[in-house]
Amino acid sequence: MRTDKLDALSLEELYALADKTGLDLPPGLERPFVVEEILEVLEEDSEDRWEAQGEALHIDEKKYSGLRIGDFDEGPGRGDSLASRYNETMIRAIARDPSWAFAYWDVADADIELLRGDDGAAGLFLRIAEIGPPGERNDSQREYFDIPIADNDLQWYINLPRSGVRFRIDLCARRSGHGGKFRVLARSNEVESPRQSLAASAKSLDPGSYELLALSGAEDIPLDDPAEGNPLRILPTGSASPGNRAD
Amino acid sequence: MKTAYLALVLNAHMPFVRRPEYPRFLEERWFFEAISETYLPLLRAFRSLESDAVPFHLTLSVSPTLAAMLSDKTLGERYMVYLDAQLRLAAAEEDRLRGDSAFEPLAGMYRALYSSDKEDFEGLYGRDILSALDFYYKKGRVELMTSSATHAFLPIFRDCREAVTSQVETAIIAHRKAFGKHPAGFWLPQLGWYPGVAEVLRSYNVQYTVVTTRGAMLGEPTPRCGSFAPVECPSGLVAFIRDAGATKAVWSESTGYPADPVYRDFYRDIGFDLPAEYLKAHLEDPGERIFTGFKYWSVTGRTQEKRPYDPAAAQARAARHAAHFLTERRASAAAAAALMDRPPLMVCPFDAELFGHWWFEGPAFLEALFRQAASAGEPGLTTLGDYLRDFPESQKSVPEFSSWGDGGFAEVWLDGSNDWIYRHVAKAVERMSELAERFPDESGLRERILDQAAREVLLAMCSDWALLMRAGKSASFARRQIEEPIANFGRIYDMLCSNTVSTEWLTRLEKRDNLFPSINYRMFRRKR
Repeated sequence: MRTDKLDALSLEELYALADKTGLDLPPGLERPFVVEEILEVLEEDSEDRWEAQGEALHIDEKKYSGLRIGDFDEGPGRGDSLASRYNETMIRAIARDPSWAFAYWDVADADIELLRGDDGAAGLFLRIAEIGPPGERNDSQREYFDIPIADNDLQWYINLPRSGVRFRIDLCARRSGHGGKFRVLARSNEVESPRQSLAASAKSLDPGSYELLALSGAEDIPLDDPAEGNPLRILPTGSASPGNRAD
Repeated sequence: MKTAYLALVLNAHMPFVRRPEYPRFLEERWFFEAISETYLPLLRAFRSLESDAVPFHLTLSVSPTLAAMLSDKTLGERYMVYLDAQLRLAAAEEDRLRGDSAFEPLAGMYRALYSSDKEDFEGLYGRDILSALDFYYKKGRVELMTSSATHAFLPIFRDCREAVTSQVETAIIAHRKAFGKHPAGFWLPQLGWYPGVAEVLRSYNVQYTVVTTRGAMLGEPTPRCGSFAPVECPSGLVAFIRDAGATKAVWSESTGYPADPVYRDFYRDIGFDLPAEYLKAHLEDPGERIFTGFKYWSVTGRTQEKRPYDPAAAQARAARHAAHFLTERRASAAAAAALMDRPPLMVCPFDAELFGHWWFEGPAFLEALFRQAASAGEPGLTTLGDYLRDFPESQKSVPEFSSWGDGGFAEVWLDGSNDWIYRHVAKAVERMSELAERFPDESGLRERILDQAAREVLLAMCSDWALLMRAGKSASFARRQIEEPIANFGRIYDMLCSNTVSTEWLTRLEKRDNLFPSINYRMFRRKR
């Protein structure tokens, strides 16, 4: 799945992705080598996240000692498998942490047929649009970036450029031969990426309060957000999602 | 007035693992182990404190699924069967270890433990642990909170209002039914907070909850007193803030008290150490190697060469650790008090099952802590509700989205291993709302069907299964715990759409997933 995603990118896009993942690749590398390097970094990232898992989770697991994996007799609900989709045109987004959101979507078969037929669609993409800070009423689109997706994609993790903002995701179909025009198939719910630095009001706290924050164990929380991340770093779901570990 | 306050908050929770259709169901052992090693030992500690007139105060969240299982007759009977099997194994172990000065007494220790459990559960409490907790609730020693109906991690459902409100509403009704009082506090599973949940909780007259240090510190505006005082959201909900330092001392797997070499080792269990043939003769379900609860070794260190467990040394160490914990808290409070205009409060939330099940000496630690705190007078032990009555004013602030899971946000419950869940659960919630709108005034069989549909949707929202999938342990079992209720709901949805009902199937399902008898499917109607 992950290799498929990388294979769909041009060499130029692969170099851009490598750059964003911190790789310093020499120019002129053959495509398979670029893909391999990126895969390796993503795999290390995933392993690092797993290694870095805190202890609370491990302790929580101990509640469930005596685990087993076994087969069960048929009973209510047993043996049923879930459909992978519901054949509807929709998109939903969930904020995961300051850097990542998860989005899943679907396009109804009838809509796909329409796109293929009358509309002359040239591909689907997600438009991630920032619509202001939390609590602000104005939801006009400010900044956005697009992520091309394949027809059979149903979900992605999306790296967010900024924390502490509201955004939404449009599921769009590009129309070929229409001067770059596109059609919005579905619009997600509004999502807020959580802040990862102290609120602006913290700057006016007195020294005593800063000391109390430090005593509370908050000294590692920055006063300002780190430099903006890369809005184009994307990871497909499944094997490459952060923190994922095979069963 | 005390110069500082300490509030211990325990979250007692087990996912719904009742499976009456099987003669024995291994996952029910999680529940039995928690009763034997945590809930009954904690109640014994409370009794001991009471009989010595030692005042103690504790806030305890009893999750609705745990309450449902604790009040279930079938599980009560099965727990007695479990205890008898444990006592038979203890007797066999005493025979096997006869004459061994190090290990025979340990087998005797387990016989005494399970004998006490049986005597308390059957004789003292009449198989009704909830009533035992209620006794301390009414007495003002233990303040009971509730939690999401099926331990749903609410931030993931923040855009599905009916998902959140159904979890809260069901929990509050279940709590009132179990304890006859409206819960003032609400434990957010995994301390999963998001801006907006305060309004939902306040709309159900909840007064307070607990949030992580980081979530509170990232709040707007920044809390002036750090974690040493709660904050109040604009809706009026009070968010108590976890004391990161205090919880780490107990919680850390590597540096916390439970890692001390003299404590009982959690992993070394005769279920894995002894020959399969021997275990087969004595285990209730000899199908595979499992944790039996019989553990004879101390932590010792990072080695397989463990020393035999010494209960007396471990009990003494638990008392020393309680003293150390209190000394550290006093030092922390003294530093904070100089900078505050009210006595600092230190809130220490833990999973209840940490005490006893994982950290075998945990209940002894707690009892020693209560005794030493009462004797010293400082810091004053309080419940969250009592603190609020004494200090009703708090700084206004809204904590940021956060949890106590790894990473501090939703990483544990939303990654490649478990993200598939949410498409199905959100769809089930949407369809449940649709059904509640279409059938607002049903009665009889159709109402039964709709109520069962609501139960299945709630069960599918349980966060424990996502955690196990992420951990990679028993992942196929966990996956099934989500797929089953989703499939059951789907079948009910189809039945209602086609106007055909299989009453036999429905009755079987009602008997199995029998939690929340007072459920009302109409809570899924869209809030206007």
